[in-house]
Amino acid sequence: MAPELMRAICDEVVTRILANADELTDLDQAIGDGDHGINMKRGFEAIAAQAEEICGLPPGAALQKAGMTLVMKIGGASGPLYGSMFIAMGKAMTAPPDSQEDLAASLAEGVEAVKKRGKSQAGEKTMLDVMVPVLAAIDQPTDDPLNAARQAADRGLEATKDMLATKGRASFLGERSIGHLDPGARSSALLVHAVCDVLEGRA
Amino acid sequence: MTDAAQETSPETAPVTGEAVVRDPTGLHARPAVKLTKLAKGFDATIEIRDERNDRWINAKSPNAVMKLRVASGDSLSIRARGAGAGPAVAAMVALIERNFDG
Amino acid sequence: MSEHVAIVIVSHSPDVAKGAADMVRQMVGSEVSVAWCGGDPTGQLGTDVAAIQAAIRSVNGPMGVAVLVDLGGAETNSEMAIEMMADELQGGVVICNAPIVEGAVMAATEAAGGAALDAVRATAEEFLS
Repeated sequence: MAPELMRAICDEVVTRILANADELTDLDQAIGDGDHGINMKRGFEAIAAQAEEICGLPPGAALQKAGMTLVMKIGGASGPLYGSMFIAMGKAMTAPPDSQEDLAASLAEGVEAVKKRGKSQAGEKTMLDVMVPVLAAIDQPTDDPLNAARQAADRGLEATKDMLATKGRASFLGERSIGHLDPGARSSALLVHAVCDVLEGRA
Repeated sequence: MTDAAQETSPETAPVTGEAVVRDPTGLHARPAVKLTKLAKGFDATIEIRDERNDRWINAKSPNAVMKLRVASGDSLSIRARGAGAGPAVAAMVALIERNFDG
Repeated sequence: MSEHVAIVIVSHSPDVAKGAADMVRQMVGSEVSVAWCGGDPTGQLGTDVAAIQAAIRSVNGPMGVAVLVDLGGAETNSEMAIEMMADELQGGVVICNAPIVEGAVMAATEAAGGAALDAVRATAEEFLS
């Protein structure tokens, strides 16, 4: 993976999170403690500040460094969750990925790390409701994996609206969490779209 | 007051004592912590019982002592077995009679 | 400080964390080391992995450390902090599934008696059972 491509992915991911931080906060104010947008913004701004250094590393090391930056800077539960995902993906990426299988194998480790860190599974109104279907979509041969990933992210995100939250702060709301998109699922969908769009040359 | 000052083994009769809790709020959190800390300093098995409750509980368990909900004016029975049982009961009675040192 | 399990209190709020630590010191005494941290890296409500690590480090000893946390992110960030410093920890470090104030007082009381880390955690967790 060329450094220019990594830099493009990094820049686009940061841009999308910053551009949608207010929406993430609004979603989180409905069912959480209202800081998801602020926390994600802080974390990805910290990545942006180190973009030069991060993108000069091999992809595996770059993901681990980005993940560690999120862990140290975010301050909410999304720090360790996204941080663990990036770190696990980076550790799995012992060589630069050059196929859909390589990316799927790395993402599989990342999704496992999120499940473990959050003691959670898909279906509990969390980021896993986006990441698990996205992994399933690219973990099989398909003509258009990027589009499959985007569609899986969108469907997964939409499905969180009718779910009852049983994990995280939203679980305190019980039935009242139903009817709202999960902010973590939304931020995951933003990341998936950003990466897919860059890989496809659309961003 | 302490009935027996002699050392006892687990098989023999326990050393026993009794004291009245005088703090207006009873054996609340802070005295309960003091009592369990004192009890933990002894090797003997130490149990207490509130006069309104028939159950003996482990005096070294802060949770059990707090959940006993001892009220002001309640008489607490203390019994201990094993090494240092006599001094343990005497020290427990003394702490309660000193009103847990304020 | 090495003969007792130490206590670390991690809250979203530095005031809550400090208050809980004050209660432990006043109720249980000073023989058990207590460290606290609260607030995110910018000082807002939240938790900070680096600050959690610093708190654990400040009281770390061979008997281990019992960590008391408040809401969600405090637990997740504490787990992350502990995993990241696994190499430098002498005794074990465990997170107690207990209310932060009551759990801290119970854990410290048990620790004051010289109990091992497992017993300290069990006593903290027993509070709600």
